[in-house]
Order: sequence, then C-alpha cells, then structure tokens
Amino acid sequence: MRNTRRAVLVALFAVVSLVAGACSNSETKAAPVTTNTGSDGADVKNPGKNVPVDAPGVTDTEIRVGGVASVTNPLGGKFGTAFDGVKAYFDMVNAKGGIYGRKLVLAAERDDKLGNNKVEVEGLLTQDDVFAVLPVATLLFTGAQTLVDQNVPTFGWTINSEWAGNEQNPKKNLFGQSGSFLCFNCPYPTLPWLAKQTDRHKVGVMAYAVDQAAKCADGVKASFEEHGQDADAELVFIDKSLAYGTADLSVQVSKMKRAGVDLVTTCMDLNGVVTLAKEMKKQELDAIAYLPNAYDHEFVEEFGDLFEGSFVRTDFVQWEVEDKPKGLQTYLDQMEEAGMEPTENSLVGWLNADLFVTGLREAGPAFDRQKVIDGINQLTNYTADGILAGVDWTRAHTEVARPGVACQFLSKITDSEFKPVYAKPGKPFVCSVDKGGKLVTQYEA
Amino acid sequence: MAGEILEYAVRGVPIGCVFALMAVGLVLTYKTSGVFNLAFAAQAYTSAVVFYEVRKEHEWPLLPAALLAVVVVAPLIGVILDRFLYRYQRTAGSLAKLITSLGLLVAIPEIVRLIFGSGSKKNPPALWWVKRTDDFLWPQGSRFVLDAGQIATLAFTAIAVTGLAIMFSRGGIGLRMRAVVESPRLVQLQGIDASRVSLASWMLSSLLAGLAGVLIAPLFAQLNSLDFFTLLVAAIAACVIGSLTNIVATFIGGIGLGILQAELAGFLPTDSILATGLRPGLPFLVLFGLLLFRRSARTSHEVTDPLSGVDPPPPPPAASLRPSWMTMGTRVFAVTVAVLGLVLALFVLDEFWLSVVTSGVVLAVVLLSIVLTTGVGGTISLSQAAFAAIGAFTTAQLTTNFNLSVLVAMVAGALVAAAVGAVLSLPIIRLAGIYPALATLAFALMFENVLAPLSWVSGGATPLTVPRPLVGPIDFAGNRAFLLLSVGILAVLSVAVIMIRQGTTGRFLDAIRESEPAASAVGINPIRPRLVAFVAGAGVAGFGGGLVASFNGQANYAANFTFYLGLVWLVLVITAGFRSVQAAIISGIFFYVLPQLLDRLFRWPGNYLTSNPEVSGVTKSVLDFIEPEWSLGVAFILFGFGALTYAKHPEGIIEAQTTKSIRKVLGWIDKARGKGPTPASEQLVTQVGGGR
Repeated sequence: MRNTRRAVLVALFAVVSLVAGACSNSETKAAPVTTNTGSDGADVKNPGKNVPVDAPGVTDTEIRVGGVASVTNPLGGKFGTAFDGVKAYFDMVNAKGGIYGRKLVLAAERDDKLGNNKVEVEGLLTQDDVFAVLPVATLLFTGAQTLVDQNVPTFGWTINSEWAGNEQNPKKNLFGQSGSFLCFNCPYPTLPWLAKQTDRHKVGVMAYAVDQAAKCADGVKASFEEHGQDADAELVFIDKSLAYGTADLSVQVSKMKRAGVDLVTTCMDLNGVVTLAKEMKKQELDAIAYLPNAYDHEFVEEFGDLFEGSFVRTDFVQWEVEDKPKGLQTYLDQMEEAGMEPTENSLVGWLNADLFVTGLREAGPAFDRQKVIDGINQLTNYTADGILAGVDWTRAHTEVARPGVACQFLSKITDSEFKPVYAKPGKPFVCSVDKGGKLVTQYEA
Repeated sequence: MAGEILEYAVRGVPIGCVFALMAVGLVLTYKTSGVFNLAFAAQAYTSAVVFYEVRKEHEWPLLPAALLAVVVVAPLIGVILDRFLYRYQRTAGSLAKLITSLGLLVAIPEIVRLIFGSGSKKNPPALWWVKRTDDFLWPQGSRFVLDAGQIATLAFTAIAVTGLAIMFSRGGIGLRMRAVVESPRLVQLQGIDASRVSLASWMLSSLLAGLAGVLIAPLFAQLNSLDFFTLLVAAIAACVIGSLTNIVATFIGGIGLGILQAELAGFLPTDSILATGLRPGLPFLVLFGLLLFRRSARTSHEVTDPLSGVDPPPPPPAASLRPSWMTMGTRVFAVTVAVLGLVLALFVLDEFWLSVVTSGVVLAVVLLSIVLTTGVGGTISLSQAAFAAIGAFTTAQLTTNFNLSVLVAMVAGALVAAAVGAVLSLPIIRLAGIYPALATLAFALMFENVLAPLSWVSGGATPLTVPRPLVGPIDFAGNRAFLLLSVGILAVLSVAVIMIRQGTTGRFLDAIRESEPAASAVGINPIRPRLVAFVAGAGVAGFGGGLVASFNGQANYAANFTFYLGLVWLVLVITAGFRSVQAAIISGIFFYVLPQLLDRLFRWPGNYLTSNPEVSGVTKSVLDFIEPEWSLGVAFILFGFGALTYAKHPEGIIEAQTTKSIRKVLGWIDKARGKGPTPASEQLVTQVGGGR
C-alpha cells in the first residue's frame, strides 16, 4: 500500500515534470483595441461636431472613462481625491458642451483593495466598458501590463516604476502626470545646486533599506560626485539601511552632527522624516532639509515648525505662488466651485484629465484609442497651461526628460507655510543646469 | 571608542524601553491568561486611536482623555475579550488561544477604522501636557536629551515593571492569576472564583496594552496599526529572553535589544551590505537565534489542565463515520458541484469575475500548503507566504534570466522553497508549544525586511515579469485557459495532499498528535514525518507562488506575498478547517470573492440614491451612511472573527457543518425507514453533543 502511494506520488510528479518540460512560455497578447478624441472645453477643435465613432466606451452622447485608486490604504493617504480632480475637470469641460458633442463621464471609481488593481483594471475594461483609464492613483500598479497589452490610454500618478517603458516594452499608452519615466539613482544636479544657493557644504542622506529608497540614496551620492565640485559640497553621511517604520534615529543624528552635516535629505516617507526632524531638534543639529515628497498641507500644519527653513520640491507649480499660471488658477477655481479641497492627488487627477482631453483634441473628431495615444506622444512641451515645467512626450516614456537639467518648483517652509522661492513672475520653475562642471540657474515658464 | 560605545548604549535605552513595555505586556497576558496575545498590538492601537480622537479632535484635557483611553476603554476591551471569548477557552491549549489572538489581530484594527474612520491621524498626541512630544525637552542643552514621550515611557515602564514584579513575587492576586491559567477547575475547587480572577487578569493586561498604545503612538507621524504590530514583533525577542514568564528578565531583554540596535547603527558601516542586511532584521534575527539555541524553547511550555482528562474527546472527522454509500454520494456530489462551478466560471462569468475566481483558485494552491504543514504536520507556520514568495521569485528569475519554461521554473521554485523549508524545519520542528509559530513568524519577517527587498532576490523596485505557460499547442495566456490549468494543478496537488494525509506519514503524525511518547514507544520517529510535512508544505507553497506570479504576470511581493497576507490566509484556513483540502479551496476563493461581493453590496445604497434622487429623510440618511470603502474592512473582520470559532470547532467550520449535515441526513433516513438511530448516526449525535 505504502509503495503504491509512493509510486502514484512519483508518477504525479513525473507527469507534471514531463508536461512542464514539454512546454514553453506564452507570448500571446490580446489584440490592441482602437478608438477616439478631445480638449479642455475652452479650446476644442470642432467642439460640437459629433462624428460616429466605433470605440469601447464611446456613444453618441458620452465618452466613458474609469479609474482606480488605493482609496482603502493602510497609510491613510488621500489617493481617492484623484477622482475629485478628474470630476472637477470633466464638469468644467461638460459645462462648455463637452468634446465633439459628447459628455465626459467618469463612469467607474474603483478601489484597489489589497493592491490588487490588475483585477480592477480588468473590471474597468470588461464591466465598465471604458474608453480610457484615469485616474490611476495606487500604491502598486499590478494592472499596468494588462493596460499595455490592451493598448488603453491610461493616465495616473507616477510613483511606481511600472509606468516607465524601455526599448522592448515602451508602454506608449501609459501617461504619468509629468512623464512616465522614473530614475531613482540618476545624478540630478538639483541638490548640489541647492547646496550652492544656500551655502551648505556637508550633506547627509538617509534611506530605507528597500530597493527604491536605496537607489534614491545612491542617486544623491552620485549627484554630488558628478556636480558637487562647483558647489563646494560633499556627501559626508549616508545611511541606507533603515528599517521601514523605524522609530529611533538618535545614533544617526549624533553621527551627522559629528560629521558637521548642514543639509539633510531623505528617501523616506513622512513618518521617517518627522522622526528625523524631531531628533535633529533634540540634538540641536543645525541643518536644513530638502524634502522631495512633502507638499502636504496637513503635514506642514502639524510639523512645519520642525522644518523651518527647509525646502520642498514639486514638479508642478504649488498653489501658494502669487503669479498663478492659467491652468493652476482654473484648477483652484474649479475645486472651490465643487466644494473640494485641493490636494496633490486631486491635482494629479486634474492633470490626467487635462492630458486625456488634450489627446482627444489632437486625435480629432474621428478619434480612437490609438489616435489619442499618438496625439499625446507627439507633444514636445506639454505644460497643462503652465502647471508643469514642460513634458516632452516623444521621450518621456523611456528616458529622463533632459539629462543634466533638473527643473522643479521650490518652496521654503516658513512659519509653517509653503513660501515659494526662486520663482519669478511668469517663470515659476527653477532649473539647475550643469554646464561643464559649473552649476547654473535657469528659469522656465 | 569606549565613549562611543557608552553614548550609543545610552541612546538605545529609550527605544529599548518601548520594546520592554510591549514585551512586558505580552508576558503579563501570557502569565495571567495563557494567551500569547498577538492582538496586544491591536488593543494598543485601539486605545491610541481613542486617545487621539478625544484629546486632539475633541480637545479634551489630558487627564480625562488618558483616563478614558487607558483606564476605561482598554480594560473594557479586556472585559469583552474575557466574557465573550477567552472564558470559553480557559482549558484550551495555548495554540488555540494563539490562533484566536491572530483572528483578533486581523479584526480589531478594521473595527476601529470602521468606527473612527480611515483617514490619516497625523501627529498623535503625547501623554503629557504638550501638543507634541518635542515641545518639552529635558535636560535642555545637554548631550542626551529626552522628549516628553520618552520621559513618560521611561516612567510608566518603570512603574509597570516594578508593580508587576511585586505583584507576582508577593503572592495574592498574582498567584491566583497563574493558578487559573494552570487549571481553573482546581482553583474553583479551592473556593476561588476563577471567573473573577480571569476577568481581573484580562482587565489588567488590557490596561497595559492601552497604556503602551498611548505612550508609543507619538513615535510615529501618524497612527497606523501595522507600526504597532512591527514594534510588538520586535518585542517578542525580549519575551523569549524572559522565557515568556519572567517580567524583570523581559524588561532587561527589551532594553538590551534597544542598546544592541543602537550599537549596530553606530558601528556598522552605514553604506555596507552587512548593515543593509543585518540592521532592519535585527529583532527577528535575535528572536530566531534565541529560539534555536535556547534549550527551554525545546521543552514544552504547554500549560495543561490536570483535570482536562474529564473533557470529552474531540469529534472524529465526519468522513470517517459516514457509511460508505454516503461517502461515495458525497464525492459524486462534490465532483458535480466542482464541475458545474467550473462550467459556470468558464461560460457565464465575465472577464472580471473570471479573474477574481482564478485568483482564488490559484491562492487555494498556496493554501494547500497550510493543510500540509499545520493540518497534517501539526506545526503552526506563519511563513507560508514567504515560501510562496520564494517560489514566485525563483520562477521569475529563471524565466527572465534563463528563458526557462514557466512550468519548469515553477517546479524549480517549489524545489527551492522546499529546500529552504528543509533547512528551516530542522530546528523548528524540535521546538515546543507556541515556539514554532514564533520562529516561523521571525523567519517570515526576516524574509520581508531583509531578503525580499534585495534586487537579486525579487528584482527590486520593478517586479520581475512572469509569462503564462504554453504547453505544446495549448496557450494559457487567456484567463479561461489559465483557470483550467489552475484547476487541474489544484486537483493534482489536492490528491497528493490527501494521499500524504492518509498515507504513512499522515498516520504517523496522527499517532504523534495523540501521544508522542506512545508513538515513540512503537518505533515512530516523531521528527521525520513532521519534517516531511513541513518540507512538502513549503514546496507546495513555492509552487503556488509561481502559479500566482504567472497568473498576475509578475512576482510582486507587496501585492501578493506579504507577511500580513499570510497571516490572514492562515486565519482563514484554520477557521475553515486546517486538515481539510476543501477548506483550503473554499478559503482561497472566499478570500477574493467576498470583498468583491461586499463591495457590490456597499455600493448599492449610493447607486440607489443616485438613480432615485427623490429619496429623503431617514432612508436617505441610512443609505448615505454606508460607504463602499467598508468592503475590505468588513471582509477582514469576518475573516478575523471566523478564527474565534476555533475554540468551539477546532476541526473547522466546514468539518463541523459537514458533521452536522451528515447527522441530519442519517436522522432523516432512519426516520423514513421507521428505524431507530443507526450506529453511525448515534455516534455522530454523541460526538457532536459532547463536543468541546
């Protein structure tokens, strides 16, 4: 009996192995589906022209889109407000007659429970019958490849590397709010430039021991190796072995103090940043911080005093700027009209909707999915009416926008508020450029 | 050098105190209730949220807010846990109690989020007369400065440890609490009200959980239940230093862990692979090391009631008592239902539901590993998700870098996971009581914190892609084809699990479970069959992990294999019946389908109001109140509460319901025949009636 069982088990294993050995890997992808058009309502070519369109999610009266966000997330993030931005934008466009005689409809707002947005994406395509997917504001993006395979125009918040394409898989239909390519370890000149501007010479960086954060720390290191000479600044402290959720950074701050650090940056979440700032205050470390991910008004209201004099970077114009670009003013007005609070995620939703409508406009009245994708991918300086520094969509899927040049909007935390700095009237973005080892400043609209 | 060692040691003390406070709370609960209460973290989180709400949102003064959160709400939770849950488990083994606490760990934070909302709760208030902990620093300007939060933690930890040490060393209530854990019935015979003593134990330990929660919350910029659990797990190492019983040794262990962490941060080169590997996983490495090398961890700590012999035996498996015709009928019925379900899935469901169901079937393959490891092998393992991840990463690396066929790569993934399981099992299966669970917990967290982030393991920030299989002319790229493949694999592996369970290994393990000394006396080596079950379980999990990766197109740790997901899977399978293959299958499908069904349910009121704008009054208010975002929380609450039934039905809900159904059917048949109860139905009636 025992031998029989063993034999059956061995046989089962052998069958599985043989079948496995006789097989290879599937390369079949779903056939691309095509369809249609649009614009921002105020500037639509032929806004009233309704040409018959045969595309998923498009009727004579509607263009349906749907999105997915990590509404239920353990971090308490306001990712769901991305839907608000899309709705506010669509309301504005629809109030002006819609696009090509059709109303824009956000038909589905899905919550990617358990980070499982692959399933939700399939739901958007098969149950909700959408023409395009927007917004995508998720912690993970497991549905990316499904959308690539189906060639669906997709717009979202680029925090995951799945948005970026490469030569083999360019992912031309995935559009982040300000480009799709993320390079965590690229030697951007921003931080050395800022050190030069603020007369800081010794830099410390702290990162979690996860791949993305550690690469970010490597990027900081590389940026000082490549651009630090002109700034007379060097990286004197690096720690990229922090446990996620760490609650004690006293030893690290003590070591930074000993090393004379006067400029600190982090590749951590707000939790880690606050822990660091509290410890810096306790140990009286006289340093400012450069915070790439801290444009959060609740955060600055609660912890702003800990970060007095620190710099906050965004790739969009922050709404504290006095001379607001047209696009930003429209966003703020629409959000106010809708009774919704402006947030980074709702702005992302707004930008996604704007790019989608721009794509529709470029595609023309007989639009389809491919035409929308192609329409966007020919734009070389997309700014969303001045909210962004300018995205070159002919290359923004697979490479850094402009090597050696980093443009951003900067504000300084002053009296627990974001105060824009380095911005000039009509030119909110400051660009740091390495010209033959010399860090120079450029201003861009 | 000596100065630096001293400096880092001093800097490690405050965080060591945090570990110590959590660890002392765990040990207190274990000593006074016999429960290794992993839900301690959830209880702490609850009090922290209550304190946040009243102190910050409603701007109560400090003392009333603290009293409500720590002295009222926390002990009240203890009362609820004792009266409605643990009083029925007083004579249950520590494993049953651990499983119940796992269920609570999953359910409580979701209940809290339902009540208080899931929005971010930034800047938790300190247990001090300040707005933020760093508003009060002492001594100002000195080299070592403490903030208000640290001062409060140091003070309350010292008070708690001293008080508890005195309580347990001077007899009285401490002695009675321990006695109730040993045998409530013997205590009752001495004229002591065991019920009241147990209630006092739970109130006291819950009060400590509440205090810990309120003290620890300001360490973080915002409240998140997972942060509390991470700290608790780090504190478990300190508990093991104190052998789960010694309060003072536990306290010292906690402080020692904080100091060790600080010394490593000070002296290891911060840009080195050693630091990246060692520092994030330090508490888990220490815990794992302690469990492997401490002799006491190999000696059973299981508290057994001397009067437990009067308890009736657990009910036998329903399948073993039903007549052969009914067994055959059940099998035919099960196959018919399965085939009908498959046909329904293939031809009726749309792509979305097909994807949901396929996710469940694929997960069921991973869950079969829990049946093998825990159900058949008797080793409670919290690392099955890690084994699945090992299988997924191996599959991904082999298909990406060596262009290997994905099915071959899955088999290789299973073998690698089995090999890791073999190495791990050698020390683990020798551990006694709850220690195997703790050791697998330590391994799972080490994997999550140290190994999974490494790019040569997981591919790094961008998950590695995994293709769908292609067998000869059959392409499994489509979801329907992949469902068929998954069902086939699930069927094959289910048969294999049943054969192991009913074969020599399974029978040896049954004998060992009944009485290890007796089994050894008849020549059964208790180690070998356990090892076989553990290694086979790891292999099945690894294969399942590869299948999950192939279905999703990528090996994504954060989406599919986190420790927390593994915890929920274990709770689900144990609830359904951890010895049963059908429990694993149903659990896998349930895990994905239930949240989607709840999502539809909770979306309905909003959709109804949209299409019926004329609705007003109370109906509108009620319908408005329901949020679609509740679906996942409610699903997890149901999963968690399911584990609470374990004490009543250790055989699992499915087995219990099967037994009940068989009894009913046999009763109807007997009645129809006009006969008295048959031996089988009589036996079932007796067993069910006399069940624990």
